[in-house]
Amino acid sequence: MELYPGYLDDHFSILKLRGGSAAPGGGYMPMPSAAAPMGIYDRRHHHPLADAGAAVWAEPFRYMASGSGAAHGVELAEPKFEPHPMAPHDVHDLALHEGAHMPALPSPDSSDDQEPARPGHKERRLAQNREAARKSRLRKKAYIQNLETSKMKLARMEQELHRVRQQALYAAGTSTTHPGLPLPSSFDPVVAAFEIEHARWVEEQSRQTRELRAALQQQHPDTPEPRLRALAEAGLAHYDRMFLAKAAAARRDVFFVMSGAWRPAAERFFLWIAGFRPSDLLNVLAPQLGPLAEEQRAKVARLRQTARQAEDALSQGMDKLQQSLADSLLLSAATDQEDDEGFDDGAGSYSYSYVARRMGGAMRRLEELAGFVEQADHLRQETLRNMYRILTPRQAAVGLLALGDYSQRLHALSTLWAARPREPV
Amino acid sequence: MNMQEAMAPAQLRQMVAVASTGDVRRAVEQKPVVVVGRWGCCMVHVARRLLLGQGANPAVLEVGDDADPAALVAALRSKDISTRGVADVVFDACGAAATARHAAFPAVFIGGRLVGGLDRLMSMHIAGELVPVLKQAGALWL
Repeated sequence: MELYPGYLDDHFSILKLRGGSAAPGGGYMPMPSAAAPMGIYDRRHHHPLADAGAAVWAEPFRYMASGSGAAHGVELAEPKFEPHPMAPHDVHDLALHEGAHMPALPSPDSSDDQEPARPGHKERRLAQNREAARKSRLRKKAYIQNLETSKMKLARMEQELHRVRQQALYAAGTSTTHPGLPLPSSFDPVVAAFEIEHARWVEEQSRQTRELRAALQQQHPDTPEPRLRALAEAGLAHYDRMFLAKAAAARRDVFFVMSGAWRPAAERFFLWIAGFRPSDLLNVLAPQLGPLAEEQRAKVARLRQTARQAEDALSQGMDKLQQSLADSLLLSAATDQEDDEGFDDGAGSYSYSYVARRMGGAMRRLEELAGFVEQADHLRQETLRNMYRILTPRQAAVGLLALGDYSQRLHALSTLWAARPREPV
Repeated sequence: MNMQEAMAPAQLRQMVAVASTGDVRRAVEQKPVVVVGRWGCCMVHVARRLLLGQGANPAVLEVGDDADPAALVAALRSKDISTRGVADVVFDACGAAATARHAAFPAVFIGGRLVGGLDRLMSMHIAGELVPVLKQAGALWL
């Protein structure tokens, strides 16, 4: 269609307002007249699609409405969103339906009449126009809804992308500052932070071990050793930091901490409640300490015994926990039908409230697991502290050096094991 | 595994009544070693096994899931049950105010005095202080 000044006049002049009137409508005719331009603008603002809040629709209209060439503006806007060849008729038809909103519009001018001289066809054509207009309205509505959902989806995806990118940046950032650190395998930020902190902790422990070795080689055995004492206390404090971080991670994801996934592979073999056995600790230390005084030897033996007993008590508690958890999950219909009040709601022992209550018990058992990790770490801490109390500063330094060496050797074994030649698949 | 542990939890719950504050007070006054914990809590089991391993026979009382340890300790303290002649030096570490604030289940009483929670019990045991305290409270049969 070709647009030229007066196009609207020519086409709209054949349209009728409030359908059925014999006089051909020049209702839109008075473009140049004073009242009409506002009428057109009104019509646009009352347009059902504009009311639908679709900014994409309202914008071009409003923008076009501001200019004086508004008539053409309406036409220009139309083709963008309605490639339907019946566009002018659609607008006309819509306008017809809006006729009720526009009492201000001048009455149809019956002077201009360019209609074909066959009234019957006119009615049918009008009906077709109405139908087409209705269909196009529905299509437009569907299109807008589609756009809205796509917009929401896009926003969500952008959010997730941003989040994942941040995580990757954080991991990459720490990797660049500490080359050689592995990327965290967990998605939980607290747990991932724990993995990274553990890797740094291991590095710091290596440094402290080197320092201990250097200090022990220098010092004359008989001279006082404030430096060794300081080093030993620094070593203990370092272990305390690890226990603290582990407790926080266990509260967040106890199964991750219990799995030992954050430790080198060979160490996992010795895992007892998310860490080393306190009695194993003494086994590693004792041979390295050299000759001990009688009293010291007795104390170490007692410490080994009490640590073992405490370990056993905790292990038995863990067994009981496993058992309780298994019991919670076993739905034994016979015992439970006679169980608590309000329980037998007539629906049988497998009603929802029953299952929820059962699962509540199992959930509580799982919550206890973090407590066990805490108790086990507490036991390790106490064992280390008591050992420190029994030994002289030099012996303590030797002991910590032995522990550090042992850990490093386990780490090296894990790396070697991971790199071992395997048969090609 | 004795008969009690072989039973389903539901049956067990029917057998072990939930203890009231009065029950706890009576037990603490009369028995040398008492462990008070929430029903079904496995830490109670740990404390019990540790004490059994030393030769003591602790009385185990179970309170409801929603019981407040601090409230229980405060209620017991008000009746002044802590006069059983046990050495004070051992309990200096847990001063009255501190104990009430940090009270948690399971709570261990030896010789009528609140020793503390499981971690305190463990610390005492590792340090070698538990057995003398038990002996003094008359909990061990030598």
